[in-house]
Amino acid sequence: MGRYVARRLLLTIPVLLGASFLIFAMVYALPGDPIRALGGDRPLSPAVVAELRERFHLDEPLWAQYWEYLKGLFQGDLGTDFRGRPVLDTIERTLPVTIRLTIVAVVFEAVIGLIAGVLAGIRRNSFFDNLVLVSTTLIVSIPILVLAFVAQLLFGLKLGWFPIAGTREGWYSYLLPGLVLASGSLAYVARLTRTSVAENLRADYVRTARAKGLSNRTVIVRHTLRNSLIPVVTFIGADIGTLLGGAIVTESVFNLPGIGREVFDSVRAQEGAVVVGIVTLMVFFFIFFNLVVDVLYAVLDPRIRYD
Amino acid sequence: MTRPDLSPSAPARPAAGNPLLEVDDLHVEFRTRSGVVHAVNGVSYSLSEGETLAILGESGSGKSVSAQAIMGILDTPPAVIAGGGIWFEGRDLLQQTPDEQRRVRGPGISMIFQDALSSLNPVYSVGYQIGEMFRAHRGTSKKEARQRAVELMDRVRIPAAASRVDDYPHQFSGGMRQRVMIAMAIALDPKVLIADEPTTALDVTVQAQVMDLLKDLQRDTGMGLVLITHDLGVVNEVADNVAVMYAGEIVERGTVDDVFTDPAHPYTDGLMSSVPQVEAKGGRLQPIAGQPPNLAAIPSGCPFHPRCPRRRLGAAAAPGRECATDVPPLRLVVPGREAACHYSEEVLGV
Amino acid sequence: MTDQQQMDLRRDEVEAGTTTGLAAPSVDVTEARQNSLWSDAWGELKRNPLFWIGAVLCLLFVLMAIVPQLFAGGADPRACDLADSKALPSAQHWFGFDQQGCDYLANVVYGARNSLIIGVAAVLVVLVLGIIVGAIAGYFGGVTDGVLSRLTDIFYALPLILGALVLLRVGPSTNLPIISDRGPGAVALALALFGWMTAMRLVRSQVIAVKSSDYVAAARAMGASNGRILVRHILPNAVAPVLVYTTITIGVLIAAEATLTYLGVGLQRPAISWGLQIEAGQESIRTAPHLVLFPSLVLTLTVMAFILMGDALRDALDPRQRA
Repeated sequence: MGRYVARRLLLTIPVLLGASFLIFAMVYALPGDPIRALGGDRPLSPAVVAELRERFHLDEPLWAQYWEYLKGLFQGDLGTDFRGRPVLDTIERTLPVTIRLTIVAVVFEAVIGLIAGVLAGIRRNSFFDNLVLVSTTLIVSIPILVLAFVAQLLFGLKLGWFPIAGTREGWYSYLLPGLVLASGSLAYVARLTRTSVAENLRADYVRTARAKGLSNRTVIVRHTLRNSLIPVVTFIGADIGTLLGGAIVTESVFNLPGIGREVFDSVRAQEGAVVVGIVTLMVFFFIFFNLVVDVLYAVLDPRIRYD
Repeated sequence: MTRPDLSPSAPARPAAGNPLLEVDDLHVEFRTRSGVVHAVNGVSYSLSEGETLAILGESGSGKSVSAQAIMGILDTPPAVIAGGGIWFEGRDLLQQTPDEQRRVRGPGISMIFQDALSSLNPVYSVGYQIGEMFRAHRGTSKKEARQRAVELMDRVRIPAAASRVDDYPHQFSGGMRQRVMIAMAIALDPKVLIADEPTTALDVTVQAQVMDLLKDLQRDTGMGLVLITHDLGVVNEVADNVAVMYAGEIVERGTVDDVFTDPAHPYTDGLMSSVPQVEAKGGRLQPIAGQPPNLAAIPSGCPFHPRCPRRRLGAAAAPGRECATDVPPLRLVVPGREAACHYSEEVLGV
Repeated sequence: MTDQQQMDLRRDEVEAGTTTGLAAPSVDVTEARQNSLWSDAWGELKRNPLFWIGAVLCLLFVLMAIVPQLFAGGADPRACDLADSKALPSAQHWFGFDQQGCDYLANVVYGARNSLIIGVAAVLVVLVLGIIVGAIAGYFGGVTDGVLSRLTDIFYALPLILGALVLLRVGPSTNLPIISDRGPGAVALALALFGWMTAMRLVRSQVIAVKSSDYVAAARAMGASNGRILVRHILPNAVAPVLVYTTITIGVLIAAEATLTYLGVGLQRPAISWGLQIEAGQESIRTAPHLVLFPSLVLTLTVMAFILMGDALRDALDPRQRA
């Protein structure tokens, strides 16, 4: 197992580098002259401009700039924005918001998705099963953008149950955006669980469990759910990595100052260093949680051995 | 390890023993979207202590379904037990509550399946799965259940049982996995063991070892054994009596020796001629013509008549014994032998 | 398949909505088998009400994109009167008026064209990229596969919206064709460039599965060329899962276009687009919620039309689903 993890870690390096270079290359073609924009109405003296351009390596070829960036990265230096604030500080400020949002979303996804999926899978073709099928189809079909507005309008403005924006009310502020962010994954978890439970219920070893005279509860919990939940748990694990990087719309609509909104603002403000820094972090999360899931898979299913 | 034996000497013939299990006119249907499938149509048999009853038939003859009905593990729906009774130790299982039925499974009747790999749960160790019998039925502690599992694995001759008890099913060979299944099934000293094609998935040499094990266990415990199989060789070696099933019915029944030497039903006769016999070299194998019946549309009259080489239709038939219209009942042909054919006497040549 | 790839495929199912069951053909694609697959599938589809809902909706929106005049109730989306600004829906004007006092029904109806054009164009590029890269990687294997799969991983690690967002923001300052002009073509291309990976993996896994089958070995033994084997034997097998994937993905891409436009990097005014309408309506969500609700509703129905059809197709084409 150790060797497998090491090999996988090695394989992630080119992916991480490739993704960050891809975003770096795009960002450094951003329009306009950020140095001039910095001066605003008061033109900066040519000497200052030259010094700034030098400091940000703006006149060197792309690959050289990227090399400089990498050198900094390996020393834990993600660079600074054009106002001189370290990108690392920006991340430290915004990441906790996104992590909280992700935690809320994953809890929704796991709890509601699992319960709905298990009940639907056990009572296949029942009214509840059809309800789950239809409602998950609907939820998957609603763009997150629309869902965010509808939730804001209905639960925030009309019913007044939740704050519609910002983080002033602590964890409570995260409930509505968390649910919106989780919706797609929640529907998927419900469906995956339903299919998996229904398939496992037909498995030979469940028949064996019944033939052993085990109680219905034991047959369902130990011999059906335990097996059915392997793909679900691993999906949720991998989804954490996706959610950590995919909350641009939710964070923007609900005005949550997380890394998603920060990266969006930075793209608009042409803050290349911030964009590259945050995107690299997102890619890292994505890869990291996928690796965790692979390991988790081997832990949950004794048939899988990586050595 | 012995149980108190109720009969003085474990009898080889059912007539002498007490019936442990009696199946009485069992009907099982599957109600599906595309129609009703009649899987078991009035099957009756009984099993005594120490007896080995082989139920012989092709796939789709209803032999496995009837066994699962006895175990109470049919998926209902789509399966429906449409009639009959299953008497075990004087009580009709079909009249009992699900919980009472459940308590019979394991200590009363237990079952082993064809494919041990898929029939064992891949995510639990074999020790856990064997020990579960004690924990579920006797409330044994986890530690003691594991100890009992090791003993059982020893008893079914799994080498190095103590060190393998925590291994998972996929880490065992096919034969060893089937032994694990057997260990699980005999854990609570059941009175009846149903073995559904226990050796079909195994190599020939391993088949013999597993059958020997089952025979030895039966001799030690006096349990009744229902052996469901399509393998004539296995039946010949281990069974006392045999019931031949076709289209969800028993078409012939008797002792193995009698049935195998001189079949009374054309279907049984066909089965005998379709397998190579070591003694009869040079003879041609004759497969049974036609296809196994569609259980959603079983032929009228005798269900075997479309494939039967001895069928008599129309004017050629004796009155009331027209093969395509008159259903032949299972009747006593000669002492100790029943068959469901209008012309069994001719088949037998008596 | 390596564990990574299995993991990826599992994840892909989220987006594609396809199951791995489809991706594992082990028998020959004789014509008879394909025929029975499709005729069985059609039999299933005909009985699925969700398919019909999706198909009717889909037809409706396609018609709306081609001849919006039929649906706009005679109103011109660009004939506006500020006096009507933000007027609520009425019997004559079912969707009310927008900020400029333009008939909102006409505006929403005329928005269908851009959405569908971008969705369909993007999916076509996705298919071309996915099939080419996937077929090459799967068929040749080895180093080629390693490099192409790593390249796919790189793109995969970037969220679709984020990648397209950056590219579209940068686009106008580059001199890249199509990308630099901020039109529907640029949006479609940006979405495709960051959205082709699932199609690639789907095709790749199909190709690998079929490549190792006996009948391809037989074709090779009889001297068929690489190209011929790919085109005649391998790609037809991939049609069913790719069709399911394509249908669902059109819906996903339409939603992504609206999102990008809402975020300000997609279509620009004076183009008519649901994303722009939602973005503009957001300011007056308290006083005139219909300005957000109507384009949102129509957008959702369009996305749903494709997802319903794709879902139904998948169920029909996957024999495991049949009891």
